[in-house]
Formats: sequence, C-alpha cells, structure tokens
Amino acid sequence: MPASSVAKPVNSPNRGLFNNTAGFSTLITVTVLLLAWLAGFASRLFAVIRFESIIHEFDPWFNYRSTAYMVQHGFYNFLNWFDERAWYPLGRIVGGTVYPGLMITSGTIHWILHTLNIPIHIRDICVFLAPVFSGLTAIATYLLTSELWSRGAGLFAACFIAIIPGYSSRSVAGSYDNEGIAIFALQFTYYLWLKSVKSGSVFWSVCTALSYFYMVSAWGGYVFIINLIPLHVFVLLIMGRFSQRLFVSYTVFYILGLLLSMQIPFVGFQPIRTSEHMAASGVFALLMAIGALKYLHSLNPKGQWKQLLILGGLLAAAAVFIAVVLLTYMGVIAPWSGRFYSLWDTGYAKIHIPIIASVSEHQPTTWSSFFFDLHVLVCTFPVGLWYCIKNVNDERVFVALYALSAVYFAGVMVRLMLTLTPVVCVLAGIAFSILLDLVLREDEMPIPQTETEESKSLYDKAGKLKKRAHEPTLPTDATGLGMNVRSGILIAFMILLMLFSVHCTWATSNAYSSPSIVLASYGNDGSRKILDDFREAYGWLSQNTADDARVMSWWDYGYQIAGMGNRTTLVDNNTWNNSHIALVGKAMASNESAAYEIMTMLDVDYVLVIFGGAIGYSGDDINKFIWMVRIAEGEHPKDIHEADYFTERGEYRIDSEASKTMLNCLMYKLSYYRYDSGGSPPGYDRTRGSLPGNRGFKLTYLEEAYTTEHWLVRIYRVKKPDEFNRPRIPLAKRTISTTNAVSKKFPLEVGTGTSKRRKGLLKNKPTLVKGKKVSRLE
Amino acid sequence: MESIVAIPFTVLEIPNIKIKKPSWLQAPSAMTTFSLVLLSYFLVTGGIIYDVIVEPPSVGSTTDEHGHSRPVAFMPNRVNGQYIMEGLASSFLFSLGGLGFIILDRTHNPSTPKLNRILLISVAFLCILVSFFTTWIFMRMKLPGYLQN
Repeated sequence: MPASSVAKPVNSPNRGLFNNTAGFSTLITVTVLLLAWLAGFASRLFAVIRFESIIHEFDPWFNYRSTAYMVQHGFYNFLNWFDERAWYPLGRIVGGTVYPGLMITSGTIHWILHTLNIPIHIRDICVFLAPVFSGLTAIATYLLTSELWSRGAGLFAACFIAIIPGYSSRSVAGSYDNEGIAIFALQFTYYLWLKSVKSGSVFWSVCTALSYFYMVSAWGGYVFIINLIPLHVFVLLIMGRFSQRLFVSYTVFYILGLLLSMQIPFVGFQPIRTSEHMAASGVFALLMAIGALKYLHSLNPKGQWKQLLILGGLLAAAAVFIAVVLLTYMGVIAPWSGRFYSLWDTGYAKIHIPIIASVSEHQPTTWSSFFFDLHVLVCTFPVGLWYCIKNVNDERVFVALYALSAVYFAGVMVRLMLTLTPVVCVLAGIAFSILLDLVLREDEMPIPQTETEESKSLYDKAGKLKKRAHEPTLPTDATGLGMNVRSGILIAFMILLMLFSVHCTWATSNAYSSPSIVLASYGNDGSRKILDDFREAYGWLSQNTADDARVMSWWDYGYQIAGMGNRTTLVDNNTWNNSHIALVGKAMASNESAAYEIMTMLDVDYVLVIFGGAIGYSGDDINKFIWMVRIAEGEHPKDIHEADYFTERGEYRIDSEASKTMLNCLMYKLSYYRYDSGGSPPGYDRTRGSLPGNRGFKLTYLEEAYTTEHWLVRIYRVKKPDEFNRPRIPLAKRTISTTNAVSKKFPLEVGTGTSKRRKGLLKNKPTLVKGKKVSRLE
Repeated sequence: MESIVAIPFTVLEIPNIKIKKPSWLQAPSAMTTFSLVLLSYFLVTGGIIYDVIVEPPSVGSTTDEHGHSRPVAFMPNRVNGQYIMEGLASSFLFSLGGLGFIILDRTHNPSTPKLNRILLISVAFLCILVSFFTTWIFMRMKLPGYLQN
C-alpha cells in the first residue's frame, strides 16, 4: 500500500464521497483512529471512576512529586535539585538520577494550558497523561504497521493496542510512570527508522534521532532501541542487503542519536562507556568498513569482489568484536550492568542481586500472563510473523527481529511484557488484515474483470470461491467454497474479536485498575468498603511528627512516605544503594536491641510497617520479609542467615512452630505488637491463616505511635536513649545510693539554682552548653 | 578523492584470488526460519524460563478432606505462578491456534482441489476454536472469577 496517501488530508467527504476512494479511506482511517483513541482513553478510566483522581502505586508518587517540584521551581532548579528528604543521610541528586522526559512532558502540557488560561492542577495532568498518550501510541502503531504492510493492518493494530491489557496495565489513569509515554516514543522511533531505511533520506534519519532523544529522556528502555536497530542493520548486512539507503540512515541516526542521548544528565557518557551500547558502535564501524569495501569495488569492478567483500566484512566484524572485548577487559568500557546481565543469564539475579529478583514484576513470565495480557493475539502473533518472514523485505526483517527479541525478554521478565505488546499488536494486525482480506475481498474482485455476458454466472460462482482474483479462469476453482462458509468464517472472526475486547475490558477493570494506595473490599452482598489506611497513616505522619523526622520503612513505601507524608525516608524505590537497603533489612531482621543500634546509627525517629493480617492483605511486610532477610544476608552474611528464619522443615511460617529468630525479629514484633483483631480467636492472622506464635510481648526500644483503622499501617516511635522502659524492679529489691538519687532528681527540676549546685559534678559539663543554647535561642 | 584512492591500483594489480563460499552455508528457507521461530515461541510462552528459574514441580498436588493426595494440574488463583505441565499444555494450544490461522491462509492456494480446501478450512477452524476455548477453560480453572462481574 502506498504510504503517501496517508498524509493526504480529508478532502471534503461530502463532495464525491463514493467517487473519491482516497478521501473516503482517509476519512475511515481518521475516524477509526479517533475511535481507538477514545476507546483506549475510556477503558483506562476505571480507577478514576471507582476511586478518585489519584496517583497510583509507588514510582508514580515520585514522578508526581518531582513534576510538582519542577512546575513550582522551574526546570533548571529541578535539574539541580538535591533531595535531602530521600536516602537519609545520603540524599539524592534528583536531577542527575532521573529520566526527565515524563516531567518535562507534563510540565509542558501544564504550561501550555496555563498560558491558555485553563487552570488545571498538575495532579490531574499527571493522572490523565498516560491514557492520553495511549491514543498517540495507537497512532504511532498505525503508522508503523502501515509502513510494514498496509493501512488496513495498521488500523487493526491501532485498535488492538488501544485496549490490550499488556499495555493498559502500565497506562491506566493515575499510573503516572515512564512507560506510559515511552511506548509511544518507542513505536514512533521505530516507525521513523523504517521510514528512513525505506527512503534513505537524511531528513527521516534526523527525525528518528530526535524521536530517539525523546525516548532516551523518558525511559531506560531506550537501550532496547539502541540495540535493536544495530541488530537490524547487522542482520541486513548478513543477508546481503547492504544499500546506500541503509548506510545513510544508520550513520546519521547513530551519530546524532549518540550525541543527543548524551545530553540527558542521567545517561551522560554511558553511550560510549558501557557494554549495553557497544553493539551500536560496533555495527557503525562494521558498516563503515563495508561501505569502504563497496566503494573500492565501485572503483575497480573486476575480480572476485563478492567473496572478498564477504571476507573483508567478516574480518571487520571480528576486529570490531575483539576491540570491544579488549576494551572491556582494559576497563575502558564498563561491563554489562546486573539488570541487563540478568536478561541473558537468567539465574544471575536470583543468586547475585536479590534486590532485582525481589520485585514481583521482575519475575519470569508464566503462560497465563501471556494469555492474560494478549488474549487471542497470542495465537495470531506467529501468523503475522509467518507473513513477514514469507514476504520478507528490509522492514519486515526489522519487525521479525523486534518480535523475536521482545518475546524472549518478555519471557524473562513479566515487566517486559510491555515491550512485547506493541509488536504483538502490529503482527496480529497484519494477520487479521490478511485473513479478513481473504474472506471479504473476493466478492468484489471479479466484477471489474469480467464484463462479459457470462459475468452473472461467473460472479455467482466466483462469489463462492476461495481463490485469488488473478486466476479467475481456472475451471477447478469454479467449484470453490460457498458464501455460507465465508460468512461463517467472518462471523467467527468477529466473535473472536468481540471476546478479545470483552477480555481486555475485564482485565483492565479487574486486574490493572487498582490504585493500590486505596484498597476496596467487597462484601457478600456486593457492597463496597474502601480501606484508606495508607493515606490515613501518611496523613498522620505529616500532621503529627516533626518536619525533619526520619521514617524507616521497607523501600517499597519510600516514595509514598515522601510524596504523601512529606517526611524524610531512609530508602525508597530508587534502589540505587544496595548496602543502605541491606542495612534497613538487617534492622528489620535483627532482634530489638540489635535493631536499635542500627536505628540510632541511622538516626531513625519512626518505623513504619505494613501489616495485612487483620484484613487479609497479602502484600504486606511479613510476606516481603524473606526478601529483606535475603538482601541483608547479601551484605551482612555474618549476622543474618536466611535459614534461621525458616522452620526446621524449611517452611516459612509465623505460628508457634516458627523459628526463634523469626519470632523475635523486629519486623515480627512490630507487626504483631498488641494485635488482637482479625476475628476469632483474637489475634488471628488472616493473611497467613494462622495464629501468631509470639504474642503479648512488650517492646523495649520502641513505642507504638499510631495504628490505622484496619491495622494496615503501624507506626512506631523509636525511643531516645534516656527513655527506655527499664525493667521494673520490686520496691524491696531496689538499692538506691543516695548520691545517685540526688543527681537523678535534679534534671527534673528546672531552674538556675539546680545547675549551679550541679556545677561541681564532673559529669555535668554539657549543662553549660545547654544553658548557652537556650539563651542563644531566646 | 577517487584519484587518491585509486593511486595504489595504478601500481598494484588486483590478485586473482579464489575464495569459495562453503556449500553448506545457505540462507535458511522461510519455512525453516519460521519453524524455528514457532518452536522458540512455543517454549517461551510455555514459561520455560519460569520453569528454569523457579523450578516448580511438573504437576502440583493437594490433600483433600480424607487425607488423600490428589494431583492438581493448575496452580489456582495465581497469574504469576504455574506448574510445568500446564505451561506446556497452554503454549501448545497457543501454537495450535497459530497453526490454524496459517492453515486458513493456505486454503486460498488456487491449485488446491475443493475437497482438500474444505478439509483444510475445517481443520483450521477446529484448531482455532479448540485452542481458543480450551485456553479459556484453562483460564477459568486458573482464575475462578475470570470474566465474572
């Protein structure tokens, strides 16, 4: 299909609607794309309608907080922002450790709307950004697919991606995360790349580089692009499809893309210093070498150039490869980082980086996730791939590579389902378009071809055929399939597609639209109960604690405490410092006194734990606890042993059979302290389905500060060294030395007289300083 | 530019070397490529990577109220967990559905006789429908509330 007709404007559909097929099809295209946008937007609003316009989950809270900061203080202050409220006492340089594309996008929208005097709160922009971008993704997918195959396939693909759960899982309203805009950038970059490979024009290559720049600014997944495009070039070279177009488009894209990507502070010099980016520069060098050989060939077109070219190409490839390996060994190029390495060596993360393995979305994918996120498209995906491999050209090589790598990555990590989803939509769009073409088109094709008097009978018979229009005269074909079979096929397809959309809506609504900071529970009669414990607790923190209070919690809740409670946290979801997280994990896994040492070392004022036992919430800290132990063990193998926390039979349990270490660790005590809810018998843990083994204990170093309505969030205050609960000694056993008694009494009395009398004591040097301080304050 | 590069060739003569492409090295046919792709797709969608990393049992088991141990094919209520056999069964169905669509495409080959064509179409549709509805039933076994309310 000619892609040039895509750009044509709608030329007045009223005049000559049925004569002007180009205008008509453009009208259909625009309408379908608009409807896809609308459907995609609407299907992502479940969370807003059920709950409220609220930011979801964990990472979005940080993105929202920094967006709000940027809108308030300006872009340059945002780039220089040092956040002293995170990673206490280290702090975090936010501007240099963040992909700013998301904040800039919503900040720009905010600025434009305010320039137009539309006063909309930045929070609403953040909430609705991802649904709006899903429409743009649909359009980008349409462009990509029509570049690959045909516009009909493009429309199918656009409709698929608008509602498919694999993508809407990351882009429902309120899920304000990098992926929401990055998938659009990904698809658009690929579209521009195909365009530039096709045309070989510098213009399209520059556009690709610019779009790539946007992608780099938005998401760390840009590494996928900068490896896939070189892979495409490399495979094309192997297949002997070198061309000037390829040379121009790749060299322009690579150089510009490299320079642009290095402008993002967080990326910096990585594109020339790390292994993840070396494939791109290696292919660049190889392309240069082959270009040079081709040029020499053009000078002297004699001899066995073809073989020499292949040999030279192989030598160049080997040289490039050896150079990269050598540079890596010499330390000029950083080796693969753990996150990327775990994609290849799948067992790596489990053994070496528990912090990556602990995140549920980094788990490998099961069959049900594939089906859940893709539904019927999981079957049509190989079909589209089959057509692309059968009728191969430069662009279809690309989509085949895209499909294969994405399938593999999606198998390794549930989270990377997101990069698989767009290509599945593209290929399924192609498959459905071809198959429906097969069913629908043959009715009309014979009409213009057979104008003779036989036309009627031929038309009738042809209508029954399953055959190509270019061979209408074969007599064996005249006994083809009937109209009934064809309409049967059509109806079956429609039912499949309908079930697909039912599934998509159901999955988006039931599985992906929970804000996870507001929980809903449903009673037997269908009544809904909102559990707003998280915000209750964070609200309490922001109202009742000192402004500079340090709150220790597991890292999952760091962003939320900072975003909603506005308090200093020790660790958060930006898990850049493993040892700091391990220290917090160690504190949670130690017994109370050992934990107290760590907590005083880290200057902790409050400890926050999530406890789901009362309402049966399974994502609580006790269930995550084993990961805290593992991460702590990784850094402190002498103090923490994972086996100590299991029973002798290797089970993880919390009832009376649990191990001693487990029953006495801080996390256990903080979760079950004073716990008497959860039905009968009181103190029953509904999440684990058992009665806690250690109950009725007292806390020495901490005191309960606040517990929310459903026991979901429990906040404890860490006592200062002077206010421990001393063990109570019966009156008769107390031995009181008189001097001590005197000196102990005095701090209670306030007045200048006391300090004068205590001046003689050796231990009271600080009182002088104290007096000074008071006077200075006054 | 051209003249500079051409300088060596005024002195040197291009050697008449014979390098032969090894005969076994050929671009694989579309069918071979696709078969390999489909095989790997079958393995990946079956969660083979999950099986390697998490090492679940091939079939689970529960104990019923009489104390007998009964095999359970599907890990219930969890989308992100599976047993090996259920994964392979489902991915077999996925591939079967894909093959059904491909067979459907083959039917429009004009040299196929009518009977074969009808047979092919019925086989294709059988494949698609069986795969689709069985996967549906699998999903219902896995998530009892699937597509409810």
